[in-house]
Amino acid sequence: MKMRTFIIRRLLLLIPVLIGVSIFVFMLTRIAGNPAAAYITERMTPDQIAEIEARYHLDEPLVVQYIYWLQGILHGDWGYSKVAKLPVTDAIKEFFPATFELTFTSIIIAVVIGIALGTISAVRRDTPTDHGTRVLALAGVCLPVFILALILQFTFAYQLGWFPVTGRFDDQLYNDVSFQDYRITGFLLVDTILRLDWIRFYDAVWHLVLPAICLAFGSIAIITRIMRGSMLEVVNQDYIKTARSKGLPEKVVVKKHARRNALIPTVTVIGLAFGGLLGGAVLTETIFAWPGMGQWAAAATVYNDWASILGFTLITALVYVFVNLIVDVMYAYLDPRVRLE
Amino acid sequence: MAKAKKAQAASSNGGTFEQVKMSLKPRLREMRFSLYLMSKSLLAMIGLVIVLVLVFIAIFAPVLAPGPPGWSDRNPMQIPKDFESPKPLGSPWGAYMQGEGTFIFGSGSMGLDIYYGCVWGARTSIYTAVYVVLVAIIIGIVIGALAGYFGGIIDEVMMRITDVFLSIPGLILAMAVAAVLGRSLDNIMLALIIVWWPPYARIMRGQVLTIKESTYVEAARAVGSKKMRVLFRHIVPNTLSPIIVNATMDLGVVVLVAAGLAFIGFGPPTGYAEWGRMVADGQMYFLSDVEYPPGSGIYYNPWWIWAFPGMFIFLFVMGFNLLGDGLRDILDPRLRR
Repeated sequence: MKMRTFIIRRLLLLIPVLIGVSIFVFMLTRIAGNPAAAYITERMTPDQIAEIEARYHLDEPLVVQYIYWLQGILHGDWGYSKVAKLPVTDAIKEFFPATFELTFTSIIIAVVIGIALGTISAVRRDTPTDHGTRVLALAGVCLPVFILALILQFTFAYQLGWFPVTGRFDDQLYNDVSFQDYRITGFLLVDTILRLDWIRFYDAVWHLVLPAICLAFGSIAIITRIMRGSMLEVVNQDYIKTARSKGLPEKVVVKKHARRNALIPTVTVIGLAFGGLLGGAVLTETIFAWPGMGQWAAAATVYNDWASILGFTLITALVYVFVNLIVDVMYAYLDPRVRLE
Repeated sequence: MAKAKKAQAASSNGGTFEQVKMSLKPRLREMRFSLYLMSKSLLAMIGLVIVLVLVFIAIFAPVLAPGPPGWSDRNPMQIPKDFESPKPLGSPWGAYMQGEGTFIFGSGSMGLDIYYGCVWGARTSIYTAVYVVLVAIIIGIVIGALAGYFGGIIDEVMMRITDVFLSIPGLILAMAVAAVLGRSLDNIMLALIIVWWPPYARIMRGQVLTIKESTYVEAARAVGSKKMRVLFRHIVPNTLSPIIVNATMDLGVVVLVAAGLAFIGFGPPTGYAEWGRMVADGQMYFLSDVEYPPGSGIYYNPWWIWAFPGMFIFLFVMGFNLLGDGLRDILDPRLRR
């Protein structure tokens, strides 16, 4: 199968999934309570209530309601977020950059460290390095992200004072200019570079370190485990023996011949790890007071702000599905056998 | 062929005790061999010991942490408190808590007994984990088996449904469902079941697809067994080992996610013996030191409020993770012998 056909097929398969997700979220909105409740007051007569219900199509069968609801979603009407005091779509635009910055940094950290640790662990199998790495990976899988966050905050921010405890930037640095005016793209790291503002850039990086490490830890563990496993499998293959026997230096064998092939299965778990990352972001952002979508959603649950919660669910599902699509395409590119199924 | 006949013989017209014993013999032998293999794996044994200790703690909670006199007879899941500010490890109970005793792990907000909460929290966690995983497995097995065995349109529809649930990250899916249902432990469990059944349906389907072509299944069909009987008596029991391995690991992960949800604020309120909630309470005191004894001028940072329940969550997850890892090596026929 050609790459283009593969991608088109994969995109077509997305349609039923996306419809399914939208039906699921729609059902949650109907379980959450009468959507017209926000417009109904105690003094209204039953006629007035009926009128409101008719205006929002709530007297129609569920299927028709769903179609109206989906129309709204497609036209950008995602409801109003009580917590953010903004329409949900605007709230997502507002909070997305912070979350993206955090998760993107984390996935980079996780991939780089995970692949390195997995390779070293496999090459030095059954040495203290290997055992140490495996213990670390085990801890990464078992330690809840919110407890790791507290440990990091307690040790490195509170006791040692190396990093700030919470937040995304130092308020004092933005005394002379409001953050709203300062932002260009909303991505703080990008904005500070665009303005060649190194002091604020360092400040942003300094604030990012602890939450990013915290969020990355679980994914590091997953990637390390898979990388180690697939390295060990690859090392026994004939082409590695061939590479060695023709006199290539060990470094070249490991880097060019073994690691490249071991990377293929690892790519698939990156998509999986990203799902964990999106979930972990809710907890990490809450603890580090990181002004992203996760913190917004967690705050929304406290105030029963359905529109925000379901908007957040919908957008994370979209992002997750999209990332997995990219991962699948990468996988098919790296391993042509996948395309032939 | 022989196996199908034997199963047929044992199950038809009740079967005498001898017959049952005969049919169980190879299974018992397998089990004994599995246990022997497991005793040779250090990590699996560590996992097993941690799990057994936690189960022991949960069962003997009334003995290990009785609380003030008569407490655990009334409402044991509520943590006793003395309404004083947090105290460090080993300080005595305040006057409000009747009876003599010490806060072995210190006390938390409102003077909640951390040790009591940790011990009784084991019950909450084991209950949550077993309930969620068991229900998820049953749903997953039935749906996966039907999809794999009958194929066609049933398979297509069911697998698209699992796709939908798998396309939302677990914690966020659980959060959305729990938010809509309202905050309580029961709703957390329901939300987690919705998150956890699809992977089992997937595993089951894959297993059924490979096994349904085997000779003994054909034999069972040839002797005229009904479809459902073939599926649930001959196919499903032979597909369970990957399910068991996954379930063991998931027992830990369920508690991890449940604690995360409780940490954000779903689930039972402060004062209930639940580890995630207890950690969240500790976060409130995170940056403030408490003075003990009052007026002495000695200040402590109350790290114990979050550290002990946090450690219990960690051990719980690790125990089941190690055990599951060990079981995988043992139950996978390609890796054993």
